Amino acid sequence: MTRVAIVGVGHSKFGKRTDVNVAELAFESIKQAVEDAKVDRKEIGNVVVGSAGGWYEESLPAVIVNEYAGLNSVGTMRVEAACASGSAAVKAAYNSIVSGETDVAMAVGVEKMTEVDTLTSVELIGRAGSYMWEFENFGMTFPAYYALYAVAHMNRFGTKEEDMSRVAVKAHHYGAMNPLAQFQKEITLEKALGSQVVSWPLKLYDACPLTDGSAAVILASEEAAKKLTDTPVWIRGVGYSSDSANLSRRNDYVGLEATVAAAKRAYAMAKVAPGDVDVATAHDCFTIAELMAYEDLGFCKKGEGAKMVREGQTEVGGKIPVNLDGGLKAKGHPIGATGVSMAVEITKQLRGEAGPHQAPIRNGVGLVHNVGGTGHYAYVTILSRS
Amino acid sequence: MSDDPALHSRRPLTLRFDIPISRTREFWDGLRDGRFITTKCKNCGNVSFPPQADCPNCMKGEFEWVDLGRDAKLLTFTYVQVTPASFVENDPYIIAIGELAKGLKVLAWLEGIGPEDAKLGMAMRIEFRASKEGNPYYVFVKA
Repeated sequence: MTRVAIVGVGHSKFGKRTDVNVAELAFESIKQAVEDAKVDRKEIGNVVVGSAGGWYEESLPAVIVNEYAGLNSVGTMRVEAACASGSAAVKAAYNSIVSGETDVAMAVGVEKMTEVDTLTSVELIGRAGSYMWEFENFGMTFPAYYALYAVAHMNRFGTKEEDMSRVAVKAHHYGAMNPLAQFQKEITLEKALGSQVVSWPLKLYDACPLTDGSAAVILASEEAAKKLTDTPVWIRGVGYSSDSANLSRRNDYVGLEATVAAAKRAYAMAKVAPGDVDVATAHDCFTIAELMAYEDLGFCKKGEGAKMVREGQTEVGGKIPVNLDGGLKAKGHPIGATGVSMAVEITKQLRGEAGPHQAPIRNGVGLVHNVGGTGHYAYVTILSRS
Repeated sequence: MSDDPALHSRRPLTLRFDIPISRTREFWDGLRDGRFITTKCKNCGNVSFPPQADCPNCMKGEFEWVDLGRDAKLLTFTYVQVTPASFVENDPYIIAIGELAKGLKVLAWLEGIGPEDAKLGMAMRIEFRASKEGNPYYVFVKA
């Protein structure tokens, strides 16, 4: 089985992008990735597009995006794993290389969430669970899903609203160093704690924004990678799992079992332990999600997520820096683009190209954690310089 | 609104789903009759909620209806203040997950109390309601 490397990355500015349509937005990342990889587009045998869709006008984003980027008669598909669609796209592109179908493949994540009004976006995300049993009669929202976990976590482990707000403060601190982030402004703990309640106990500053954005990575087989680049970042482990559509069928509400299972598989495949990871992105669609991720990924024991953020263990200089790009909270969360954006961030970190928010790299190992829905899907991808 | 030029597409797409319920019709009829029932597999004994005609455990399709009772314990909840577009006419609501006496869990609104009075572990009871379209549904109330 060939090894697979990331040989090119591209990332658009995230935010409310009223200046571009979905194809133009994807193109920004594709162009950068092609130039970064110095690859001829003709060599790309497979383009996988991660996009949840529904909030922009096009129904078939893969062909719209490929046509605009001059990727003619390429093998392609659009994949959906909710907010983990981007990681699913990377996984599908990875598979096409491992299987020998192609030597070079591209994963593109793109989402355009602000062309519809905000409450329509809220509705479309709220329907992403079990429509029949959770939305039709009970009007679930995305914040409500995670709030159910937050309340259980607070009750079981003594996690406080302040602890969740600390995650937001950290996200904005690093977001301020990322020129591609939607929010590049520091916030205070007081501001986060005092923000509007969306779905108690989650407030506006516990929630990621609605975001337009794209990201792209070009993957290559070991043989092709050696010709293309001196700085390949290898995909060493990919783990993925899922959980019930209905939250009523979950065993508990203090962590995401899909993350635990995905992480276990990814660590085993990469032959690394949580302590080997130099830098990580954790899926912080809500602040409570980041705290649970610390625990579910094995960065700390169950119930100690809040302690990690209180002690600054997930900042630069701490035990394991997490979300130095600002995370979903400050960088923004264009649903289908997020997983690819995370892969771009960790690739840059491992190349030493992350600029002001560069983490110290000791073992050359980084981790991407990308959740779809409320642990409905989970993908953990381990990247390495060697 | 942004100052960027935009093509203001205004071709509305209205989604009205006719969701088949023939295989779990007794559940919905039960709600109208004040009974909270679900499916139990005749082959392996697995009880499912939400109800489903095909057993997710053994994949057999022979089942019977069992009464779940109406008593539940509050496991977790949230107070939804920003509601989706199709719920904008609703006041803020509490969404709760309750555990039934038989161990199955149910997600539904918790009505009749404010969020400050919702305590994890408290006893709740299932009650029955009808939507403005006349569809039956269920909620929790404090027992």
